[in-house]
Amino acid sequence: MTKSTTLLSKSLCAFCAFLWLICLCGNARAQQVLRWGADPSGGAPYVYTDPANPEQYIGYEKEMVDALAAAMGRRAEFVPSDWETLVSALQRGSFDVIVNGLEPTGDRAQQILFSNPYYIFQLQLTVRRDDDRIKSLDDCKNRTVGTLGNTAASRLLQQQGIPFRSYADPVGAYRDLELKRIDAVVMDVPAEAFYARNNSKLKPAGPPFTRGLYVIGLRKGDFELKSEVDAAINKIIVDGTLETILKKWGLWNEAQAEFQGPIRAGTQTATNVQEFTPTTSSFNWSEALWRLTRAAAVTVGLALGSMVIAVVLGLPLAVGQWKGPAWIRLFCTFYVEFFRGTPVLVQLLFLYFGLPVIGIAMPGWLTALVGLGLNYAAYESQVYRAALEAIPTGQWEAAYSLGMSPVLAFRRIILPQAFRIALPPMTNDFVSLFKDTSVAFAISVWELATAYRELANASGQFLLLGLAVSAFYLAMSLPMAHVARLLERRLRDRATERVVEQEAAA
Amino acid sequence: MIRVTGLRKRFGNNEILKGIDFEVSPQTVLGVIGASGSGKSTLLRCLNGLETINGGTIECDNVRLEAGLSHSDYRKRVKDLRLKVGTVFQHFYLFPHLSVIGNIIEAPMHVLHTPRTKAETEAYELLDSVGLKQAARRYPGSLSGGEQQRVAIARALAMHPALLLLDEPTSALDPRRIHSLRTLLRKFVDRGHTMIIISHSMGFLGGVADSILFMEGGYAVEHGPAEEVLRSPRDARTKDFLAQAE
Repeated sequence: MTKSTTLLSKSLCAFCAFLWLICLCGNARAQQVLRWGADPSGGAPYVYTDPANPEQYIGYEKEMVDALAAAMGRRAEFVPSDWETLVSALQRGSFDVIVNGLEPTGDRAQQILFSNPYYIFQLQLTVRRDDDRIKSLDDCKNRTVGTLGNTAASRLLQQQGIPFRSYADPVGAYRDLELKRIDAVVMDVPAEAFYARNNSKLKPAGPPFTRGLYVIGLRKGDFELKSEVDAAINKIIVDGTLETILKKWGLWNEAQAEFQGPIRAGTQTATNVQEFTPTTSSFNWSEALWRLTRAAAVTVGLALGSMVIAVVLGLPLAVGQWKGPAWIRLFCTFYVEFFRGTPVLVQLLFLYFGLPVIGIAMPGWLTALVGLGLNYAAYESQVYRAALEAIPTGQWEAAYSLGMSPVLAFRRIILPQAFRIALPPMTNDFVSLFKDTSVAFAISVWELATAYRELANASGQFLLLGLAVSAFYLAMSLPMAHVARLLERRLRDRATERVVEQEAAA
Repeated sequence: MIRVTGLRKRFGNNEILKGIDFEVSPQTVLGVIGASGSGKSTLLRCLNGLETINGGTIECDNVRLEAGLSHSDYRKRVKDLRLKVGTVFQHFYLFPHLSVIGNIIEAPMHVLHTPRTKAETEAYELLDSVGLKQAARRYPGSLSGGEQQRVAIARALAMHPALLLLDEPTSALDPRRIHSLRTLLRKFVDRGHTMIIISHSMGFLGGVADSILFMEGGYAVEHGPAEEVLRSPRDARTKDFLAQAE
C-alpha cells in the first residue's frame, strides 16, 4: 500500500515535470513569435499581396516588422486583418501588435497602448487632372472628399466640416474620384504615392500638408512588449535599417530626416518627439447620436426607395412569368433566378465597380437603391405570382361572363384580391430589405450599419453604440410591422366587421 | 331569342357535345337535365363563351358566334355574346373584396361605363327585387348561401342580358329556399327575361321551366314542352333517367 503510493507520487512528479517541460518549450517558442496585424487589401505600400507572387505579402512595413522582429530576436508572423476592426482584433488577442500606419489618436489612446513613433506621415490632396477648381483643402468646403475611414485624414475633414465619404481602401477612393463620384481624395502620402501619383487621370493639388506619427499599437498593459518594441524601433533607426527600407520604397523625405536626425545623433529618443501633435478626436456622444440619426434617415430612404422599385417592377415580372409568351417567361425566370441566386452584396459590387467599365457610373446611394430594388423585385415577383395563382379560376370566369376584358378583370377583380394575400409576405420582405440596406456599406453609403462600424471602431463603444443602433433599427421596423399588421387585419376582417357592426346596430 | 345549331365541342379526341340543336323563345325558361357527364355543364360554358366551340353556331339577339372564325373575329363575337348572356354560377363566384353593391355595379360601371349614380340606383332596384336591399353594404363573406345566390342573380341582371344562364341553382338551398327561388325566377320571366337553367331537381324545373332539354352522351336526346317531357317522355333514355331521378 505505502509502496504503491510512493510509486504513484513518483510517477505523478515525473509527469508534472514533463508537462512543465512541454509548457516551457511552448513558451519559449511563443516568445520567438511577433504576431502583427494589418489590412493587406488595398494596403500598398504598407503591406499588400505581392502581385508577382500572390502567396506572399510585401510592403515597407512588412520589411520594417521583419527588421524589428530580428532586432527583438523574434520571428514575425503576419495576421491579415481588416483596417476598421484592427483595434478590437488586437484586444481580442488575434495578434500582439498593430503595424499599419496607425496614428496615435486620443480615442485610440484610451483603448490601446502606443509604441514610440517610427514614421512621420503627411497628407496629400488629389484631384482629377482636368480639375482646376481645387487647389487646397479650403476649396473643398462644399464638395465631397474621399478618404479612408477612421484615419487622421478623416478626422481632419470632420473637424474642418468638409463633407467626406469613407472608403475601406485607397483603390475605391481613387476610382470614385476618376468616375467623378467625388471631387477630391485626401490620403496619407505613402498610399497616395503608390496609388495616385502615377495615374495619368489624377494630379496632386498643392503640396503635402499636416504632419502626424505612425506608431505601433499594443494591448493596454503590455508594457513589457512595448519596451521591447521601442528598443527595436530605436535600434533600426540608429543603425540605418529603417532608412534603407524607406529609401527602397521611395518614402524617405525631409520629414523623416528631421525626425530621425536627433535620435541617430543620440541627443533624443523617439519618445520625446511629441511636438508633431497628431489629429486627435475624442468620442462625443451627442455628435455620434446625430450622425446615427442622419444614417438612419439614409437607411429609411434606401429601404423605402428600393421597396418602391421592387413593388413596381415585381408586378410585370410576376405577370410575365405567369401568363407571358414563352420568351418573356424565359426572361423573367432568368431574371428571378439570377437575382435570387446570387448574393446581393456581389450584385451591388458589380453595379458599383463593374458598370463604370461600360460607362455607367452611378453614385453610391443610387447604386444601392437600384441594386436592392432590382434584387427585391425578384422576390416580390414570386410573392405576387403565388398570390395571383391562389385566386380561383372562378373569379376570372365570373369577371369574363360579366363582359370584362382580361386586363379589366385583372386590374379590378384579381389584383385587389391577390394584394390581400401578398401583403403579409411583402411586409416580411420589407422588414428584411430594411436590414439588407446594411450591405450598402460595401459601396461606402453612409447608412446605419456603416455608421455603427465606423463610430464603434473610432470609439471602442461597440456595446453601447450597438444598443443604440439596434434601438434605431427597431424604432423603425416595429412601427412598420405594426402598420402592416393593422392593414392586413383591416382587409381580412372587413366582412366580419360589417356583420358585427350591423348586429350591434340592430 | 337564342338559337343553337349543330353545336360541337371536344377536348382533345374526346367529343363532349356532338351536335346540339335547340331554340329558346323570349320570356321562357329552358330546363336542361341529364346525368353528370352528359355535357350539360359544357353546353352552358359554350353559351357564355368560356369554352371555344369546335362546330355549329350560337345565335343570341343579333350576335352570331360560329366555329371557324378567325381568332380575332371569334374573340370579338365572344365579347359581344357575353354582353347578351348573363351567368349565375353554381358557386356564385361573388367578388369577395367588393361589397354587395360593389359586386353589382362593378361591371355596369367599368364595362358599360354607366355613371355611378345610375348604376347604384339600378343596383338598389335589383337588390330590392331579390329582397336584399338592406344587405347592400355587406360583404359576400358574411352572407348565407341563399343570399349570395340572389346577389349573383342581381349582379348578372345588372348587365341587362338577353339571356340568363343558371348552373345548378338549387344545389345549396333548402326546400323553402327552393320555393322562393322559383317564385323569384318566375317574377323575372314575367318582367321579360329569358333563362336556361341546368338542374338535377325535376321538382324545381317542373315549376319553373317552360321547356325541357334532356342530354345524354353529348346529344340532345329529347326537347319539348316541360309538362310533356317530364310527364310522358317519348325517348326510352329520357324515361330511364326520369325514373331513376325519382
